[in-house]
Amino acid sequence: MDLASTPTLELPAVVEPPERTADRQATLFRDLRFRIARNSLRTAWESGKVKLLSMLGTSLVVAAFVFGLSWYGIAELFAFKVPAKGLIVGGLFDLMFFTLGSMLLISTGIILYASLFTAPEARFLLCSPARADHVFASKFQGAAAFSSWAFLILGVPILVAYGIVAGVPWYFYPLIPLYLLGFVLVPGCLSAMAGLLFVRYAPRNRKQAVAVLILVAVSILTYWLVQFGMAARSTLLTPKKNEVEGLIGQFALVQHPAMPSHWMTNGLMAAARGELGNALTPLALLWSNGLMLYLGATLLAKRIYRKAYDRVAGGGSAKRIYKSSLLDRFMEWSVFYLDKPTRILVVKDFRTFRRDPTQWVLLAIFGGLLLLGASNFRQYYKNDLGVMDKYAVSLVNISATSVLMCAGLSRFIFPLISLEGRKFWILGLMPIRREQILYGKFFFAATISTVLAETLILVGDVLLGLPAGAIAVHAVTVALTAVGLSAINVGLGACLPNFRETDPSKIVVGFGGTMNMMIGLLYIVIAIGIAAVPMHVAGLTNALKNSGGNLPLWAYAGLPPAAMAAAIAVVLPLRAGIRALKSTEF
Amino acid sequence: MIDIRNVTKKYGPKTAVSNISLKVPAGQLFAFLGPNGAGKTTTIKMLCGLLFPTAGTVRVGGFDMTDQGDEARRLISYVPDQPYLYDKLTGREFLQFTCDLYRLPKAFAQDKMREVIELFHLDEFVDDLTERYSHGMRQRTVFAAALVHEPKLLIADEPTVGLDPKSIRELKVLLRKLADAGTTVFLSTHTLDIAEELADCIGIVDRGRLLGYGTLDDLRRQAAMDGSLEDLFLKITEAEPVAA
Repeated sequence: MDLASTPTLELPAVVEPPERTADRQATLFRDLRFRIARNSLRTAWESGKVKLLSMLGTSLVVAAFVFGLSWYGIAELFAFKVPAKGLIVGGLFDLMFFTLGSMLLISTGIILYASLFTAPEARFLLCSPARADHVFASKFQGAAAFSSWAFLILGVPILVAYGIVAGVPWYFYPLIPLYLLGFVLVPGCLSAMAGLLFVRYAPRNRKQAVAVLILVAVSILTYWLVQFGMAARSTLLTPKKNEVEGLIGQFALVQHPAMPSHWMTNGLMAAARGELGNALTPLALLWSNGLMLYLGATLLAKRIYRKAYDRVAGGGSAKRIYKSSLLDRFMEWSVFYLDKPTRILVVKDFRTFRRDPTQWVLLAIFGGLLLLGASNFRQYYKNDLGVMDKYAVSLVNISATSVLMCAGLSRFIFPLISLEGRKFWILGLMPIRREQILYGKFFFAATISTVLAETLILVGDVLLGLPAGAIAVHAVTVALTAVGLSAINVGLGACLPNFRETDPSKIVVGFGGTMNMMIGLLYIVIAIGIAAVPMHVAGLTNALKNSGGNLPLWAYAGLPPAAMAAAIAVVLPLRAGIRALKSTEF
Repeated sequence: MIDIRNVTKKYGPKTAVSNISLKVPAGQLFAFLGPNGAGKTTTIKMLCGLLFPTAGTVRVGGFDMTDQGDEARRLISYVPDQPYLYDKLTGREFLQFTCDLYRLPKAFAQDKMREVIELFHLDEFVDDLTERYSHGMRQRTVFAAALVHEPKLLIADEPTVGLDPKSIRELKVLLRKLADAGTTVFLSTHTLDIAEELADCIGIVDRGRLLGYGTLDDLRRQAAMDGSLEDLFLKITEAEPVAA
């Protein structure tokens, strides 16, 4: 029988005409999300009110912290007669929205890729009569919401602080969420379209293509950040009009009229000035472009999502034999001080990490930021900084390195126990004590973070020409911070695991991840505050008195209590983590 | 109901399914057998429209899965080896979602839900969140959802895994009843006695190729031997030389 002549079966009877399927499915997915959210909230409330309230409290603390910091910074800017103040605020807003937009681009892309191509739900829905564009829309909305909550928590307090300091009209405030929500659509949709097109049409050897793209992006970003850092430094050292304009000139790209981040700035600044009409035009521009891109993305999904899924599912490569690599042996060697079973666990974690391409993107970003830090060393060397500058710059260095370390450990180490997930029984049945699992992860994290952070800080300090005593204090401070943060991440990772989630990005932004990040940041403030600040005060006092001699003994007084704080940061989370891990059933 | 013609599916350089052709008429219970990695699940995924053939055509109910997949999927229910449920929905909410997805009239959907809840003994836990279900409870709920919209084609991949003996017995009776009532059942399994007991027609696949196809008697003729399905299966699959 000819295929074309095969009779088609009659479809089952339905209430509404088929052309209403689209509306019906959209409503259906909206109801599904609502039901899931409602049930999740209800179970969270019933199973642990403390957890839910802590989550809310943590978000409020983060928002309050950002608000306080922004309020102080903006008030200082307004209090001092800084030239071209309005331009600076505009430039900073441009930079902030551009940076947050870039982060949204990456985070939405990663979450959406996992939701569309690797999640069991996607497979379930694609086997049902759900239309591809509706599946995409549902997943897109989830990914955008997931990736943008941090954007809202950071963006709203900064803008509210600006509004209060600048004394803006009332309508500035209700416009803030409208602008932020409209803005989220643009990078999210661009990321979604790029992801779909890449998966559908990229060459088969995608890993190489992704690696090249990441390298190019990181290089461009690093170059720009270096240029910006140099201009900012010139402005701080000689705050004249030319230098300020030079600094603002670094924002040429983010201030381009076609940049959505610039529409945000233009609109919000106009609202702040009381020009409501001028504030609404960029808002309309933002929403219309965002919605148009959303339509474009769903249309694209309708055409290519299923084909792209097929390509991912069927994109096998030639049979590859995975072997132990030199990197694995180096990792094992770097934790030579551990016993053999723990070293095996460390190498297992490292091997799992290096074989997961989605982790590389983030690693490249962290690598870029580290390179940026390292690139400043040459500037220190070239510039003959004053003693006060040296101490100030080194304190900024150690703080920035610690925050970066906190972010890196939260992203890569905290989810490790959760990612064992349903495979936990393998570890559970191994002839090792369960605490060894945690110790393995702890020493893995502590070794890598200490080596990286010490290298950055020591090289920076030496090039800055700090005295030996100050360098020693920094070395101890960084080591205490790295070890404490590693223990916090490993311990809390075991105390607050999310065995159901397979996507580390989602684990990190969940309740446990947020708590962990907050505690980590608090620990950094304590560790640096206790260990390094006395030394900096002593150094600056010496500088003010022009007595270039050795640091007084009290400059080191912070080290013993900081070591105590580090010991607490190591012992408490690890002990709690071990207890939690021992009681884990599988 | 199912018309697979000269279908090949490649995963990169690896050929998972190689030039398979088979037809399954409406109301037949077809058992698809093969060793691990033989190409069974890949074929099933192409039947559901989750994957597209590299060559050849897959038609379900006369609809081409590549071009008319949305229409074809309204006729199909797929129960995978690892069934998916929304953790934060109750069993009843999941059934309702399925009814809505297949656009069942409201009153009809309510009747059907009542029917499948009773049929699969879901009453005791249907209003609990599915995250609390055991494997057997999940499997029964997924089957209930698969049948609630009265599919023309039921595709089940290893449906008996994790079920207790009583549930397996009930499932076997149900599958036979469905086929007798006109539903096409495409059953992929390693449990040869179930295939022998239930199937109208059997396909044996290995290394992506269909090595045997027909009734048990047809297979006996092909293998030139008498014996159980297990004997036939082993003879047919072991006779096949390993590709160089």
